[in-house]
Amino acid sequence: MKKLKVAILGSGNIGTDLLIKTLRSPVLECAAFIGRNLSSPGMTRANSLGVKISDRGIEAIRSEPDSCDLVFDATSAIDHRHHWSVLQSLGKIVIDMTPSKIGTMCIPAINLDPCLDQRNVNMVTCGGQASIPLAHALGRTHEVDYVEVVSSIASRSSGPATRLNIDEYVETTEDALAFFSGCAKTKTILIQNPAVPCIDMQTTLFAKVKQPNLEALDREVKAIVAKIQAYVPGYRLLAGPVYENNRIVIMVKVQGLGDYLPRYAGNLDIINCAAIATAEAFANKNEKKDTDQRSHAPRR
Amino acid sequence: MKSSYVMDIVQEDCRNALKRPEVLGALKGETVLITGGTGFMGTWLAEMIATLNDHFGFGTKLFLLSGRANNLSARAPHIAVRPDVTLIERDIRGLMEIPQEVSWIIHAAGNPDNRVYASEPLRGIEVITRGTAAVLDCATRLPNLKKMLNVSSASIYGNQPDNLEKISEGFFGNLDCASVMSSYAEAKRFAETLCTVYRSQHRLPLVCARPFAFIGPYQMLDRPWAVNNFMRDALLGGAIRILGDGQTVRSYMYPSDMAFWLLRILTDGVPGQNYNVGSPEGVTLLALAEKIADLFPDKPRIASHLLPPGKAQRSRLVPDISLAQNSLGLEITVDLDTAIKRTILWNQAQQKLTKAGESKR
Amino acid sequence: MKKKILISDPTLRDGNHAVKHQLTAEQIARYAEAAEAAQIPIVEVGHGNGLGASSLQVGESAVGDMEMLKAARRKLVRSKLGVHVMPGFATIRKDIEKAVEVGVDVFRVGAHCTEADVTRRHIGYVRERGKEVYGVLMMSHMVSKETLAEESLKMESYGAEGIIIMDSAGAYLPSDVTERIAELVKALNIPVGFHGHNNLGMAVANSVAAAEAGATILDGTVRGFGAGAGNTQLEVLIAVLDKMGYSTGIDFYKLLDAAEIAEREIMKVIPAIQSISIVSGLAGVFSGFSKHVERASKEYGVDPRDLFFELGRRKVVAGQEDLIIEVAMDLAGKKVSR
Repeated sequence: MKKLKVAILGSGNIGTDLLIKTLRSPVLECAAFIGRNLSSPGMTRANSLGVKISDRGIEAIRSEPDSCDLVFDATSAIDHRHHWSVLQSLGKIVIDMTPSKIGTMCIPAINLDPCLDQRNVNMVTCGGQASIPLAHALGRTHEVDYVEVVSSIASRSSGPATRLNIDEYVETTEDALAFFSGCAKTKTILIQNPAVPCIDMQTTLFAKVKQPNLEALDREVKAIVAKIQAYVPGYRLLAGPVYENNRIVIMVKVQGLGDYLPRYAGNLDIINCAAIATAEAFANKNEKKDTDQRSHAPRR
Repeated sequence: MKSSYVMDIVQEDCRNALKRPEVLGALKGETVLITGGTGFMGTWLAEMIATLNDHFGFGTKLFLLSGRANNLSARAPHIAVRPDVTLIERDIRGLMEIPQEVSWIIHAAGNPDNRVYASEPLRGIEVITRGTAAVLDCATRLPNLKKMLNVSSASIYGNQPDNLEKISEGFFGNLDCASVMSSYAEAKRFAETLCTVYRSQHRLPLVCARPFAFIGPYQMLDRPWAVNNFMRDALLGGAIRILGDGQTVRSYMYPSDMAFWLLRILTDGVPGQNYNVGSPEGVTLLALAEKIADLFPDKPRIASHLLPPGKAQRSRLVPDISLAQNSLGLEITVDLDTAIKRTILWNQAQQKLTKAGESKR
Repeated sequence: MKKKILISDPTLRDGNHAVKHQLTAEQIARYAEAAEAAQIPIVEVGHGNGLGASSLQVGESAVGDMEMLKAARRKLVRSKLGVHVMPGFATIRKDIEKAVEVGVDVFRVGAHCTEADVTRRHIGYVRERGKEVYGVLMMSHMVSKETLAEESLKMESYGAEGIIIMDSAGAYLPSDVTERIAELVKALNIPVGFHGHNNLGMAVANSVAAAEAGATILDGTVRGFGAGAGNTQLEVLIAVLDKMGYSTGIDFYKLLDAAEIAEREIMKVIPAIQSISIVSGLAGVFSGFSKHVERASKEYGVDPRDLFFELGRRKVVAGQEDLIIEVAMDLAGKKVSR
């Protein structure tokens, strides 16, 4: 089949890990790896993998608009505003890795299909990708009064941008939790732990509900965990759901694939796996459309 | 129009600083590139060249290179739209080419904000070391480069020794390269070394300026420097907070003097020479806080923080500027009191402008 | 001239850990009034983990943050109102902005002792609003004095007007404190402070060691009301400091009165060094965990001492209360399988 051509904007950890996942995908092709600094480790890696690189930022796409169909934006929320205005006018599909809150929030295990009709899809946050499916399962089985998500990550796995923008992480995750669980009152906590050896990403969901129904919840949780595991192999249920101390508790652990950063960086891996799953769904949809068109074309 | 008042202050300052514009005559009809072109220095240099063009018919063409060209539209939109100004948006670390017509370069890129060097020292020092190397390399391929000014920093001197009243260019510095807090200063030192090497190996006409501290318009008050904090505390209507007994000594130059000095060092500085740029008038932080407080109708209180006994911060950082004075005839034309007054005026006008903008929205 | 020490009193903040964050607005107002009368310079108020920390993870407060702060604000005139803030729990928009509006004077922005760079925006914002801001390094026993100095320098560069290191686990001996405070005093251009816990009975001795090494800010709570074995007992600290020739500006008799009032009106139990607190101090685990460990060990039928040591082995940090459940389940599982 014809592969979907993608460009990756941003040569930091997220961008570079996306590159390696893209190269492995049977339906995606990395048309360009774009940053601003040719000497960055990500650029060097891309160059050594034989991928076309550019240090001209969004200009690289503006000047060669036909080079790609889909763009991963792994820069920053502020830059994404500008990038989107350019990419929108060029008619590109955009998968936004930043907490810009511009595009439709996408959690592949929940709402992948409707997202494929959108041009700008936002991957929320790493903690969001790990916890929102659980909150969604909760919302399907319970009247929820309050949802809270605590993620602990290895200090090494959060770069300078994440640290500077920790507020954006918290607020974006809270908004998305409310949106997908149907519960207005949400809270997000992020803990960075410097322990060596580095800890795996761990996320705990706490909730207050009217009438706990653990049996129904257990079914939903198992089902959605299986769905996530289809695109995030390192995602697993650690404990729960249990009801203790008047609250529901579910814990998950996320190990990374160890593509660009080591396996402890499950936080980075889960959002990237989700983004790749989304891009692949776009690719399959395009392919199907092409095939349909071909099969419906009058024969001569 | 209210917005013009903010601009008026700066433009008036530029005109006042140009009492003898003819000494910069070498720049007439020339093309100047400024790296770090949208920062505090870059903006002032652009204002000064704009004044030379508008009032003295210099016809100088200006390229401003910046990683974030949008900054200028926010800071000084009137400069961004000028026909004699061209913005180049580019990460300086990857700079590969400078427009061939450029005949003068002022290399002022590199963020002096120490918060950047605390959180992300790697990125900060890369901009200085790789950035300087990239600019120098491009400069070797310019057919008509008359001179390049490397804007270094007074931080390369490290701590001023107690027995030294003023730092002259011959002081070789007092830095601990193993301290995390030295990354900016050490990177700046290396940038000077690079310049020396390019001057020697490629015969590039390179001159160097070592700026000290400034106070004036376009400086962001959120920068964690004493004078900015004092000014902000006072503008917010609270007490001005100082550390210990406030006997630390600094000196502050007004940026119109700074911009004029830098241009003069560019045109007439001797290649291979380093020039201190700053005010020789030392002032204790306590006196500075009092000067600022006196300019507000409800004089803010000055509150002191406790320091450990014997830990009084009595450092000084004051330049000896006799080299610039004697060899280039440079002078301080804006005294500290005037500098403070105009800075407060500008910030108040800026505040009003921001508020007006917000209420419109 | 007597050497001056700035006292910050987190009775109404750290003490909230001791009552599972159930302090009421009335209790807060009552103690704030007494603290004002005693001329305590800074009165810290809020959830045990600070602004925005009321949660199922750490424990829900009986009263919202702003209500607590307002209750204290009304009673404080000369005394300043302080809060503890941890990025990751609290955000500028949701919490700090509101606290500024309620009239908080002093913000103490805290992070785990290796993570100072998460505080940059928060410290900067507080300064922009013209309020006082300090940097706080929590669980400071977990790293070397050199690392503490480097992290402190980051906070200083962001605009912190002083750095306080916390012995959050009550794990220090006086020599540990001397060494670390001396290093910070040498490295920093801003005041240095110490916040003690009493798990090993060392809180007052440690605070004195800090002052002798050059710290000019000390934390203490009346009756030691605080997480785990409690904090440095303020009445004792003030008496000792006075005897040693330090001045704090606190009215000693009124402080004793405040302690009586607090004991009567806000404490269910006066903190004491219980067996389990000694274990917690030895294991180097966050003092705020003690109530959670108590509950989880009962719920899962495990020895709380094993639980503490295992948590210490896993190097958990403040805010990782969820791990207590996981570790308890783990230990319980092992017991069953045996």
